Formats: sequence, C-alpha cells, structure tokens
Amino acid sequence: MQKLVKAFTVLFALLPFAAAHAHGPSRQKVVETIEINAPADKVWAVISNYKDFTWHPDIAKSEANDGMEVEKTKRSLTFKKGGVVTDKLMAYEPDRKYISYMTVDVDLKMLPVSGYSSYFTVTPDGDKTKLEWKGAFYRGYVNNNPPPELSDKAAVDAVTAFQRAGLEALKAKIESGS
Amino acid sequence: MPPTARAANQSFRQNGRWAAAAVASLVALAFALHLGAARAGEGTTAKNAYVTNQLGNSLSVVDLGAGKQTAEITIGGKPAGIALSPDGSRAYVAAPDSREIVSVDTVTQKVLKRANIGQGPLGIAVNPQSGVIYVADWYEHRLYAVDPLTLAITATVATGQSPSGVAVTADGSNILTADRDSNQVSIIDAATFKVTATMPTGERPFGVTIDDAAGRAYTANVASNSMTVLDLKARTQLQDVPVGLRPYAVARAGNALFVTNQHAESVSVIDATSLSPIKTIRVGSFPEGIEADPTGTAIWVACWDANTLEKIDVATLTVVARIPVGEGPRAFGKFLR
Repeated sequence: MQKLVKAFTVLFALLPFAAAHAHGPSRQKVVETIEINAPADKVWAVISNYKDFTWHPDIAKSEANDGMEVEKTKRSLTFKKGGVVTDKLMAYEPDRKYISYMTVDVDLKMLPVSGYSSYFTVTPDGDKTKLEWKGAFYRGYVNNNPPPELSDKAAVDAVTAFQRAGLEALKAKIESGS
Repeated sequence: MPPTARAANQSFRQNGRWAAAAVASLVALAFALHLGAARAGEGTTAKNAYVTNQLGNSLSVVDLGAGKQTAEITIGGKPAGIALSPDGSRAYVAAPDSREIVSVDTVTQKVLKRANIGQGPLGIAVNPQSGVIYVADWYEHRLYAVDPLTLAITATVATGQSPSGVAVTADGSNILTADRDSNQVSIIDAATFKVTATMPTGERPFGVTIDDAAGRAYTANVASNSMTVLDLKARTQLQDVPVGLRPYAVARAGNALFVTNQHAESVSVIDATSLSPIKTIRVGSFPEGIEADPTGTAIWVACWDANTLEKIDVATLTVVARIPVGEGPRAFGKFLR
C-alpha cells in the first residue's frame, strides 16, 4: 500500500509537466451496447441532457456551464468515491441522436485514462431502442513503462466496467419510468 | 544516391541556394517518375495499400483495384507507423509498444526482420533517393537514421518534444519532423543529420506532409484543430487554416488538400491556393492515415474506429469505396504502393 501511495505521489508530482494533451502512442477502444425497452426519443432525452450525468451509478454530482457548444461547454463530474473528472462536449447532433464528450482533467484514481472520449448512438428497433456507448482513450500513464494500475489493460478494464455499469443503470432508470 | 542527385545536394549544402534545390527536385522527380513513385498527379495508379492495424497487431495488404484485403500479416507491438522502400519491395512498420521496426517483404508477404529501435518508435519515413529509414522516437525526442538492410541505427539527432510525423523531400536532401509537444516542425539535413531550422506550427502537430512541387509542407494540428502551411524556401509558417476536430494528417491531390479529422468523422477539403474550405466529406469514424493516389484522382483514408480503408473520388469529392481491414487501422505514413 505504501508503495502504491508512493507511486501516486511521484505520479502527481510529475503531472504538471505532462501536457493535458499528451498521451501514449496506442489508443484503446471499448464498445458497449444495450437494448432498452423504451422508444428512442425517451432514451435520447436522458443521454442528450449533457448537464446531468447522475444517471451513471458512479457519479454523485454533475455540473456544467450553459449552452451546448462543441469544445466550449464543459462539465465537472464528482464521483461517489470523491474524485473529480472534467470533460467537454465534442458533438451534439439531435437529428441523428448522437452526442460525444471527451475528458479534460481526470483524477486517475477515478478512471485510469487520458483523453477519454465517449460516443453515444441511439438506434430505434421497433418500440425498443439500441444504445451504443463507444469509448476511445489512452491509458492513464502517458509515458513509457506504465505501472500496472495505469497500463493499457487497466484502462480497458476500467472503461469496460464504467460503460457497462452506466448502460445498465440507464436501462433500469428508463424502463422503470423514473 | 545517384551521382547527379548527390552533386546537386552538395551544391545545395555549399551555397544554400534554392536554385540548387530546384535542380535536385527536378532530378528527383525524373527518378521518381522512372521508379513509378511520383507525387500525386504525375504517376501511375497505386496497386496496393499497406495498412497498420494498431489494435489488431497486424498489417493489412489491400488490393486497391479489387477493393479488398488480400492478406493480414501478424506484426505485434501495436503497429502504427508505415513506410515503403523506394522500389516498393519492403514495407517498414513502426511498432511503439514493442519498440520495434519490422521489415516486411511485400512480394512474399512475410516478416523479414525486426529490430528494437529506441523507446517509442512511431513516425517513420524513407529517403526516396538513398532508401535510408527515418524513425521518430516519441519518448526520447529524437530522430534515428536506420539502415534498411540491417535495421541498425546509423545516426541520431535530437528533435523537439515528442516527434510524431516524419517526411522527406523528393530530392532526399531534407527530413521534416512534426514535434508534437513543441508546436514546431524541425528541418534536418539528410547528409549531415543535423537540425538546420525549426518552424512554428499550430498546437500539437501530428502528421507532416511535404508538397515538393509547391515548396510547402503541411501539418495537422491536433489541439488547435488546424492545418499549418509551411513555406520550405523561406522556412516559415505561411498560414494556419482551421479544419475539423482533432486533425491527424494531410494529403494533396490536384489543387486540393485533404485533412483527416479524427473526432469529426470527416475529411476537410481545402483549396491549395486560396487555402479556403471547399467541402467537408463524411467518412468512417476516426479517420487517420491519409494518402493521395499518385495519379491525383483518389484519396485513401484509414478509419481507426470503422476498421475500413476508404476511397474518396477527387473529381466528385465523395466516398466511393469502403474496404474492411483489420482492427484499429492507423496507416500513419506513406502506405500506397
């Protein structure tokens, strides 16, 4: 444990030197889908509300500045575990029910990733809806020789769990009518 | 290097005049035409594409005429960078995760040789005259000259921070690196292997492309969502042109520049003279590596998320083919043969 604390101390000491856009050379991808027993408009109504991300079970508080402007509208997400991740809107296209956002600053104890962008696609399927959440991201450690907890695998595992939990909670929320 | 090109290069080094470079360019062009590897608008149609699949750890061989993948060669090490030897007999792949350069025989479609190169080999290019391979090291902030037969490092030069894209002038005299975290392009003299100039770009330049005929180079700047136009004669920035979200690389065909916008599922088309926008073309998700067919009639784009190699018809500016390739294609470099 002490070793881990030490690793994080070193990491955070180094962080100011790691530019916000820096990343390792290998981008990862996770695609999760779910079928929701509700019309597409209902699903879209929830996921297009960028300001409110509290439908995700890991999130305690969600605050955003006004507007829906690409790369200008930003959001601060407080996790139930206590850390904060900020992101910004990258695409908002109601015509094709498509929204995307990307992390700006990440507390690596919340999600061991950098440059994590999410893409939501809503596809009607009769009176049901198929929702896809695609994640494209880099590992949390932007330099070479990452510690295991900030490796490519750690990032893929964490994002897979994050997206899966989000979609299942969203399905439960919409299908229960809340 | 052919004697005439060498003489022209020496003259260029001695008096530093661009007249000499122009002579060298003409000589280079003659050779390029001879080898069937001329720049867009002057050559014969490319037959194959060699697409690095980063998530799939492989190299796709695509028959462009038939419009399908004919082989997928296992590479390993999360391959990203790609370059071809001047005669097209070898494909060189940069695999950053295993820190290797992998040489592939394009006839037998087998891995010939692999060698550890630095700490983060990513961008790769080949000198069209000498065949020397250049590899940018993302983590060590260096460019290596690598012998194409032995894959041994023969020279090293320090660049700016996190060099990504690499390009070589057609006459083989100068190498450009896009130094991503220094917001600049370095010019390296191929003969002395020293940095002779740096030019400022937009924020976080990733791909760099040389336009020999125009005496220009272009960078795609990931953070400023722009394309920088550089004047290679004056060695200065001419203009920074807005494009789509998170641009990756640039190609030229005819009088148009094509820029892949990773996060916008699109390719920006910009008039090469006026530098004003012509059109935005919707392509597959996460378009990255891009190159013009030597005839200038088509543009090929690797789409990382869609797992496709897509063809844009230059006359109509529409996508006319979507060819499935491996998982996570990047094709960062020159991948057409």
